[in-house]
Amino acid sequence: MLKTDKSIEEMSKQQVVSYLNETVKPEEGVIPAYLLGNQTVYDIEHEKVFLKTWVFVGHESEVPNKGDYMTRDLAGYSLIITRDNEGGIRAFYNMCTHRGMKLCRADKGNKTLFTCPYHGFNFKNTGELVGVPLQKDIYGGTLDRSQMGLHQVKLESYKGLLFGTWNEDVEPLEEFLGDIKWYLDILVGRAEMEVIGVPQRFVVSSNWKVGSDNFVGDSYHTMVTHGSIAKLGMVPNATYSKRGFQIHTENGHGLNLGTPNPDFAFPEELKNEFKSNLSEEQYEVLSNLKNMIGNVFPNLSFLISHTKIKDQFISNTSIRMWRPIGHNKMEVIAWMLVEKNASQDWKDRSRDSFILTFSPSGIFEQDDTEVFTDITEAAQGPMPFLKNLTYNYTMGLHREPVDFIGPGVAYDDKFTEASQRNFYKYWLELMTK
Amino acid sequence: MKVEEMLVKCEFEQWLYDEAQLLDDIEFDEWFDLMHSSLCYQMPVRVNKDGVERPDYSTKMFTFNDDIELLKLRVDRLKTDYAWAEIPPSRTRRFVSNVRVKDFVEGEKAVVKSYLLIYRSRSTDIQHDLISGERNDEFIFEDGKWKLSKRIFIVDQTTINTRNLAIFV
Repeated sequence: MLKTDKSIEEMSKQQVVSYLNETVKPEEGVIPAYLLGNQTVYDIEHEKVFLKTWVFVGHESEVPNKGDYMTRDLAGYSLIITRDNEGGIRAFYNMCTHRGMKLCRADKGNKTLFTCPYHGFNFKNTGELVGVPLQKDIYGGTLDRSQMGLHQVKLESYKGLLFGTWNEDVEPLEEFLGDIKWYLDILVGRAEMEVIGVPQRFVVSSNWKVGSDNFVGDSYHTMVTHGSIAKLGMVPNATYSKRGFQIHTENGHGLNLGTPNPDFAFPEELKNEFKSNLSEEQYEVLSNLKNMIGNVFPNLSFLISHTKIKDQFISNTSIRMWRPIGHNKMEVIAWMLVEKNASQDWKDRSRDSFILTFSPSGIFEQDDTEVFTDITEAAQGPMPFLKNLTYNYTMGLHREPVDFIGPGVAYDDKFTEASQRNFYKYWLELMTK
Repeated sequence: MKVEEMLVKCEFEQWLYDEAQLLDDIEFDEWFDLMHSSLCYQMPVRVNKDGVERPDYSTKMFTFNDDIELLKLRVDRLKTDYAWAEIPPSRTRRFVSNVRVKDFVEGEKAVVKSYLLIYRSRSTDIQHDLISGERNDEFIFEDGKWKLSKRIFIVDQTTINTRNLAIFV
C-alpha cells in the first residue's frame, strides 16, 4: 500500500497530480475514496476537466422562438443562451463588459435587448453593445462600442443537445462524443424531441462523480437500492436489471442497454418517424429497448425508463446534469424530453411517469440521493486519504467484450464495472495531462 | 370578519394542524384517508422570471403530479423494506399558518390557502433542510368529513435545497 507522510492539503497541485497517477488505478479496478472528498482534487477537476471539455448547457427546444433566451451554468460561470432573429443560437458570458455586472438574472424569457442594471449598457441578443447612456457627452465620442460586445462562448449542438466550453482549442463536439453519438441518436435523435416545461433542480450533498458513476455503469445497484420498485410490480423482478449490454466508448462515455423488451417502449404511431431518423441497426435496438442508462463525460447522464404504471406500460426520456457546487455538493438539473409529435395523452403519461420515478420526488431518484449523500460523507476529510481507503471496481475484469450491433466495447450483460473503469480512465487522463 | 367566517377558518386550521401531525408522526395510512378519490396533488417547478411576469412557476412540469392512485403507490412504497430514502424516517415538523378561506359552501366544498414551512432533519446530520411554500387547497365534503380534492403547493425555491422529496408537502 502506498503511503505518504504529507497530508493532501500540504501538497502542491503538481504533487497531487503525480499522487493521482500513483493511486488511481482504473484498469486494476482501484479507485481511492479521497477523490470524492477533497478540495484540491475538486479545484484541479475544475481547471482540467470542466474548463477543458464540452459541458452540457441545455436543449435547443428550450429556446424555440426568436428572441428566446435562458441562463445556464458552464463550469461555474453564468451564460446567456439566446436565439436571434435568424434562428441562430449563441451563448455569451453573462457579464456586462463595462464593469462586470451580471447582465441577465432571470432563468428564461423572451427579449432581444439586455440592459445592465448597473449603468444601463444595452446589448443585443447577438452580443453587440448597442447603447450606452449619455455616450457622446461622457465619452466624447471615444468609446469604441464594437470592441465591447459580450464575450461569446463556444457552443455546439448535437441532435438538439447544446454543449458549451471555455476551451478555445477543444476538439469539435462530434469528435469528443465519438461513438456515444450512435446511442444519443436513439435517445434524442429518434424523433423531433422537446423539453417539457422547465428542468427540475435540487441540491444533494454529494460529489458529482457519484452520479456519473451510477449512471455510466452501475446497473448492479438497481436490485437493492430500487428493490421497492419490483415489489410494487412496476418492473418484472429484482434481477431484470442484469439483462442487456453494457457499452463504453472513448473519452469516458458509457451506457447500459436494458434489452430485450416484449413491448414497444415508444409511441407506436411514430414508428415511421423513428425509422426515418435511425439506421436499421439503431431501430432494432430501439425496438427491443427496456431501458437505457448512461453518461456523457463528464457529468451529463441520460435515461430511458420503461415501467408499468396503473397497469399500463409507459416510457420516459430524461437527461440530467450533476453540476458540481463543491467537492461534497452538487445541483442536480433534470430535463424531461418527449417526442414532439406524440399524442397529448402519451406526453402527459410519459411526464407523469418521469415525475413519479426520476424527479426529486421520484421513487427511484430519492433512494439514489440517499446513497450518494452517505458515500460522499464517508469520503470526506484527511482520514480516507491517509489510510488510502479505496473502492473496488473489479467487477467483470475477467470478462471479454462481445460483438454488438452498435459501436463501442460491449459486454453481454449489465453487471460489470467496465464503464466506470473507462470513466475514471479518461478522468485520470485529463487530470494528469 | 363575521363569527361564522371565523368558525369556518378555525375548522380548516384544525384540519390542517391534524394533517400536519399525521405526516410528522409518519401515519401515512391515516393521512391518505384524508384524501378525496378525485385528488389532484401538484407541486409545480418554480421559475425565476424577469420582472413581475406571472405565474412564476411552470404549468407543464411538476415535482409532484399525483392522482389518488399514484399517491397510494407512494404510500405503499414507503411501507416496503426498500424505501431507503426514508429509512430511518426524516424528523419533520410542519408549521401551518396564514390560513385564509377563499370559498366555502357548507357541507359541499371549500377553497383554502395557507403557508407551510417544513423543518426536516435526517439521520444524525446536524444540518437541517427548510422547505417553504404556499398551499392552494380544495376540499369536498363527503361522508360527514372534509376531504382534500386538490392541492397545489407553490414552493419558494427554484432549486430545492433538500436531497429529495421523499416527504409530502
